[in-house]
Amino acid sequence: MALPSKSAPCWQKLANGGLKKLRTTNLGAQMLSQRLEMSKLTPAQKADEVYDFFVKWERGLANEIAQLSSI
Amino acid sequence: MKSHSLAPSDFAGAMAGRINALVALDDAIALIRAGAPLAIAGRKEALDQLPAGNWIGGTTPYFLTAEGGEMIDATRVFVTDFSGLGAVTSHHYDVDALQDITEEAPEHGFALAILPFQSQAHQRFAKEAGQYPLAFLKPTVGWIAGFDLGEEGSSAYVYDGSGSGALSDGAAVLQIHLPEGMMPIVEIVNIFSADGVDTLRFEEASFSPRDVIVNGQKRLFADYIRERGVEGGQLPLVGDYSGARINASLRAVGETTVDLYAPVFPGIDYAFAAPVEDYPSAFAAQFAAHDHDGAMWSCNCILNYLFGGLEGKTVGGVAGPVTFGEIAYQLVNQTLVQVRVI
Repeated sequence: MALPSKSAPCWQKLANGGLKKLRTTNLGAQMLSQRLEMSKLTPAQKADEVYDFFVKWERGLANEIAQLSSI
Repeated sequence: MKSHSLAPSDFAGAMAGRINALVALDDAIALIRAGAPLAIAGRKEALDQLPAGNWIGGTTPYFLTAEGGEMIDATRVFVTDFSGLGAVTSHHYDVDALQDITEEAPEHGFALAILPFQSQAHQRFAKEAGQYPLAFLKPTVGWIAGFDLGEEGSSAYVYDGSGSGALSDGAAVLQIHLPEGMMPIVEIVNIFSADGVDTLRFEEASFSPRDVIVNGQKRLFADYIRERGVEGGQLPLVGDYSGARINASLRAVGETTVDLYAPVFPGIDYAFAAPVEDYPSAFAAQFAAHDHDGAMWSCNCILNYLFGGLEGKTVGGVAGPVTFGEIAYQLVNQTLVQVRVI
């Protein structure tokens, strides 16, 4: 499944609580989720951070990417 | 005691096969002189004898091997060889430059860091690493160097391979580049889970929290620990990081003070861990749930080694240093950390 484009609404949703709802055992994703929850970054900055994470680790996040359409 | 014993003719094959085992000190010296990029762990008396080269090191006499946990003398060291990947370079980062570990980490690869126990770098990294902007894009793994607990007054040291000798502060780091198409997977194996009794919160990031919020009620942390009967330190605090279980272990409980081996942070739900009866079985069960393809490096905690009675026992066949803190993006405790490259 292809990664949605940077402008796709899923990144904003992930950055604002959606990441915590993903079923994942990826340690980096879990720690990033917790950091974003406590972060003072703007929603757009958080979405950028989530997008960059998924782009970087796309090959290891197939299960998580498959869930993006239901976020 | 078992260790690799290498004849000179073995080195070409060993380099291709990437040693991750205890070796005789002379063999480690030969590997360094052959130009192998290495992470080395052992006693200070052994590490002090190693020549300059492309390696980093840290002190600990405790190890897990495929044959079982053991404590070694200064005639051997544990070597992890990173030959056959991409470029591997050794560095030392001062306490004020620890963020550069991630800033300077390779785009494709990871950083392997060793910091001395109780150093300023240990304290700073523990509190700040999870907030480094590139923490989750350029992963750092590693460990906190320790010492023989039976030797009073011992200290922990790291080495950057430059020939400058034992360093009591800062971080020794291997920046490990991987070929295009390969990537590191950072994983933890944590045999502990929350006991479900109380939810604990802390008001500030601290190695020594005075107070704890227990189910919304603020109270003296030391009193709560004694009330729960967990002051012996076998059971860590388990933090819930969006489902990841991240431990912070008890170091000492005084009349009104509590010292931890890793800081607690505000905004995280903690609980004390449920007891674990049989550590090797618990690790085996956790290991069965993990993929081990491409396993390259691991370390495990001294508290698991001691409380779990791991001397002479195997833990899922992994080999690596037994450490005074583990690094998987940030400092964790009482946890096995593993890096796989796929």
